[in-house]
Amino acid sequence: MEAMEIDAEKNLQRKQSTYLSLDETFEIQKETYRGQQYSQIYFARLHLMRTLLYSLVPHWKSHLKVCTVLGLEEEKECIIVGTLYKHMKLKPCILDEYSKERSAVPLVKPHNFLHLDDHLVLEDESGRVKLGGDMLSPSSYVTGVVVALHGKETGSGDFLVLDVLEAGLPPQIELPLQSREDKYVVFVSGLNVGSSTSNPLQFQLLVDHITGHLGDEKEQGIASQIVHVVIAGNSVEIPSGLLNGQNLASKDQSRLSEPVKELDILLSQIAAGVPLDIMPGPNDPANFSLPQQPLHRCLFPGSAAYNTFRSCTNPHCFELDNIRFLGTSGQNIDDLEKYSEAKDKLEFMERTLKWRHLAPTAPNTLGCYPFTDRDPFLIESCPHVYFVGNQDKYGTRELRGSEGQLVRLLSIPKFCETGVAVMLNMKSLECHTLSFGTQFGS
Amino acid sequence: METASSDMKNFYRQRKSSRGGITKPSSKSTSKSKKKWPKNAAAIGSDITQPRTLISHGAPDLQDDYDKHEEVLRQFDMNMAYGPCLGMTRLARWERAQRLGLNPPEEIECLLKGGKVNSDCLWDGRV
Repeated sequence: MEAMEIDAEKNLQRKQSTYLSLDETFEIQKETYRGQQYSQIYFARLHLMRTLLYSLVPHWKSHLKVCTVLGLEEEKECIIVGTLYKHMKLKPCILDEYSKERSAVPLVKPHNFLHLDDHLVLEDESGRVKLGGDMLSPSSYVTGVVVALHGKETGSGDFLVLDVLEAGLPPQIELPLQSREDKYVVFVSGLNVGSSTSNPLQFQLLVDHITGHLGDEKEQGIASQIVHVVIAGNSVEIPSGLLNGQNLASKDQSRLSEPVKELDILLSQIAAGVPLDIMPGPNDPANFSLPQQPLHRCLFPGSAAYNTFRSCTNPHCFELDNIRFLGTSGQNIDDLEKYSEAKDKLEFMERTLKWRHLAPTAPNTLGCYPFTDRDPFLIESCPHVYFVGNQDKYGTRELRGSEGQLVRLLSIPKFCETGVAVMLNMKSLECHTLSFGTQFGS
Repeated sequence: METASSDMKNFYRQRKSSRGGITKPSSKSTSKSKKKWPKNAAAIGSDITQPRTLISHGAPDLQDDYDKHEEVLRQFDMNMAYGPCLGMTRLARWERAQRLGLNPPEEIECLLKGGKVNSDCLWDGRV
């Protein structure tokens, strides 16, 4: 019998890429709260989007005049620009509690608040006008989107919409065409460490795969091409029974911090080998309103020691080798799903890009910081990869813009439920899934 | 509501001088008449139910007319083109207008940075 040959030890080098963080617009350390209301952020949004739309209107319909809502003349065709407001019959309103008529409220559907009677209203500083006609379908729009409308005022005071102009995809910086290497970015979200449904072995398998401790040489070769890991929210689940406002006994206090400690151990294994970005999600110990601020370094004493560990905001924008990535932990798309309709999550993502706004429903139904002079959710430069975390299933699509923009839309599923992480190839912007399981089907 | 004197103008306190802006300019015929409250007036004009002076910034605002600088600044506050005025200092709102390319008038900046004018908008503390 031949002696087994021992392969000469081969050192596999992990590839690297240049990283640039663009999260500065989402940080709120410099903001001061002086009692301002949300009218300020709506004004900033309307002004910035209107300036943009005014520049696009001449290419769209050069023969028509733009006027304000108050300046509308009956039966005269013109263009108006303003913020959409959707009046929804089933949307919960705090005033309903005080309403005198206790009539039976129509049953709300479990997944969204749409109703056939919803209608749209266009609003600018001078006034608002109800929108009529078949051109705009209220189920596709939400409050907070700024559009330009071509139409005319009817006798009843409504504005009959003949055509719509959305801002469209923002300009994109072209990627260099020469052949790039095969480099991969791993996206994962919804780890929910600490919850009863999460399987620690599944996450450990993922970590081992990324760090190259798993598999034969070929698999390790693939793992060595992973240059970055992004965790898109909901990394921990604090036991909800502890958060009921009562004082915590000392034994409960340790239960509170256990999920984060467990997460820290696993993250330090990743951070030791590969650059890692962690974003806060709706269930993480971060602030509630968007933009969520980075999780504090004190939560991760082990991982924060590595300079490869980066705690990021939600939404998160960064560049790897000049490829621009933009994404959120899911709150913006989930909120769109409650108040509008589309055939899949990727279509909601497409709409946000075409409206050039990450979270149009903020601050109406999505918590948001009351900025006074800017709207950080406006998308100025089109990303090459647009991702959203904590979704029910994996999905990906390529979106082409009218000016040659190319965006890879990516919907990342919840890892604790599906065991699926996503690998994106930076050369072709194609994605495939990484599936981890600990049980074999019978 | 019937009272002894049916002169409606005596119910309401006259403004000492007419200013532009949102108040309509009053006619020249209104004189600086003394307040004459009908004896039996229960609600409108009664001192008990309606506070006599507006308390502003912790001190009674006894000065109903304001100088022309304040007038100019109030016009700036009310101008819709520069956005909502509540919740920001006037200078911050001017700077925001400047940054957004709205070309706010320079003299307002000079007024705000220079003299002893109210840095908060006219609704501050009142709404």
